[in-house]
Amino acid sequence: MKQILLVTDGCSNVGVSPVVAAAQAHAVGITVNVVGVVDQGDIAEFGTAEIEEIARAGGGLSRLTQTRQLSQTVQMLTRKTVVQTIQHAVQRELKHVLGASTIEELPPEKRGEVVRVIDDLSETSRLRVALLIDASASMKPKLHAVEEAIRDLALSLQSRQGGSEIAVFHFPGSAYGEDCKLDLDWTDNISGVHSLFPRLQMRGTTPTGPAILHVIDFYQKGDYGNRKNDETDGMMSDYVV
Amino acid sequence: MTTSFEWTLPRGTIIRGKWKQGSYRVDRLLGEGANGKVFLVERERERMLYALKIGSDTVDLQSEVNVLQSIARQKQKRSGGGSRTGAFLVDVDDFRGSDGKEHPFYVMRYIKGLTLGDYLVRNGKEWFPVVGFNLLGKLAELHEAGWTFGDLKVENVLVGDYGRPELVDYGGATAFGKGVRQFTEIYDRGYWNAGTRTADASYDLFSFAVLCLQLHESRRLAQLSAGLLPQTRTPDELAKLAATSAALKPFSGWLRKALYGEFANAREAAAAWQQWMHRAGTVPASAPAPRWMKGLFAVSAAVLATTIYWLLRSAP
Repeated sequence: MKQILLVTDGCSNVGVSPVVAAAQAHAVGITVNVVGVVDQGDIAEFGTAEIEEIARAGGGLSRLTQTRQLSQTVQMLTRKTVVQTIQHAVQRELKHVLGASTIEELPPEKRGEVVRVIDDLSETSRLRVALLIDASASMKPKLHAVEEAIRDLALSLQSRQGGSEIAVFHFPGSAYGEDCKLDLDWTDNISGVHSLFPRLQMRGTTPTGPAILHVIDFYQKGDYGNRKNDETDGMMSDYVV
Repeated sequence: MTTSFEWTLPRGTIIRGKWKQGSYRVDRLLGEGANGKVFLVERERERMLYALKIGSDTVDLQSEVNVLQSIARQKQKRSGGGSRTGAFLVDVDDFRGSDGKEHPFYVMRYIKGLTLGDYLVRNGKEWFPVVGFNLLGKLAELHEAGWTFGDLKVENVLVGDYGRPELVDYGGATAFGKGVRQFTEIYDRGYWNAGTRTADASYDLFSFAVLCLQLHESRRLAQLSAGLLPQTRTPDELAKLAATSAALKPFSGWLRKALYGEFANAREAAAAWQQWMHRAGTVPASAPAPRWMKGLFAVSAAVLATTIYWLLRSAP
């Protein structure tokens, strides 16, 4: 199962529409979830609408949350999406086997077994979550909370029975014209990672759409991290403790 | 975790099941779990009280029902069948709400009691050792059936007469070896960097230790949690808090073992607790000296020392 989890606090303003990008992700089997971080009600109405639309196009869920609730929200969305993805797959089978198209159509006595299968698969299936972090200027005070949420998510995923990996990106990248930067390649354990966002230079633009496309690319070339190791300059070397 | 289940059911509402037509009259809201709300209801005709949990997500709620059923089955098997725990779950059905949507619900035995915090406020802290012991017994029973309770906290323990506790809200109950399904940060082993979130016996025992801190030192626990950075949250900090608490000092050793996952299982933890409980019961607790008296003593000792020092120095 593949997920992108976008954490942002505002509107995209450069490049391809993030809604189109999310639809592309969905088309190749990647679910896109979006968490909007709002602290002083500082998200514009337009931003809220965009967040919802990105998630809808990406086949995922969206939530607005305050910084202090970020960890819980991130985990809740990840878990719910896993269950939903499995549920959709199981429901397709339901039609063949039981003639019902949703679980709700089944009488309660028959639901138990189906839900047991969903729970089991949710716990044991392999899961990859690419975290895509908006690092535009306004997010700066929230990055600590973001990092904590990522570590907390990693801990929960580690406790699953199925293999789970995360990767972390931020956007825009530090170099001029760079839409997105890999901070952490696929890993199942980040406890040894010192700092996820060392010395970030915040810039004003928010290229959400291009960044999503970048992550889709990353998913599709499974060996991205190894091949481009040299080009990721100082960022990667910081992870070696 | 939040639900999108925002509406409430006013007193007198009749909840009729879509499949089995069981009919229940709402009395009042009892509480709220992560997956839905729990109401006190009366079954029509029978005039018996039950607790009814109603949610918005069929899969989430059914998953809870599965847990309850399999715990009941396992307990029944162990006790050789025909045990009263079999009647824990009474009915599972759907209800069409006033919003036109169908909501899944299940009905279970109504447990009369106060939440653990309220019970100790009302009946006195002297009940704490025995309630704690009984609670460890409940956890041991659950663990022996292969389950971790998961979301153990003050709100999820109801205490009936004579300190008999019951666990409520099985939304976090998880089979050993799987990732704990629901937890509350401050009670969570992972949050305190004390281990994984994989379900095992010591996960619950860790939460139990935090629950003791929460009951006796809630303010200092909240301050501790707010004051530490994610990477500096450790079981050491909790153990330190326990060791410096007047109320918890007698069994800070027990808490330490629970915080560091050193008990093999809940039975062992209960046995250790029992030893402490008896000691605490037989040795009449001498009233500790009030703080002002200790302060006064320190001051007078200092004055005495200074006087002697002066006497010695001024002596020819």
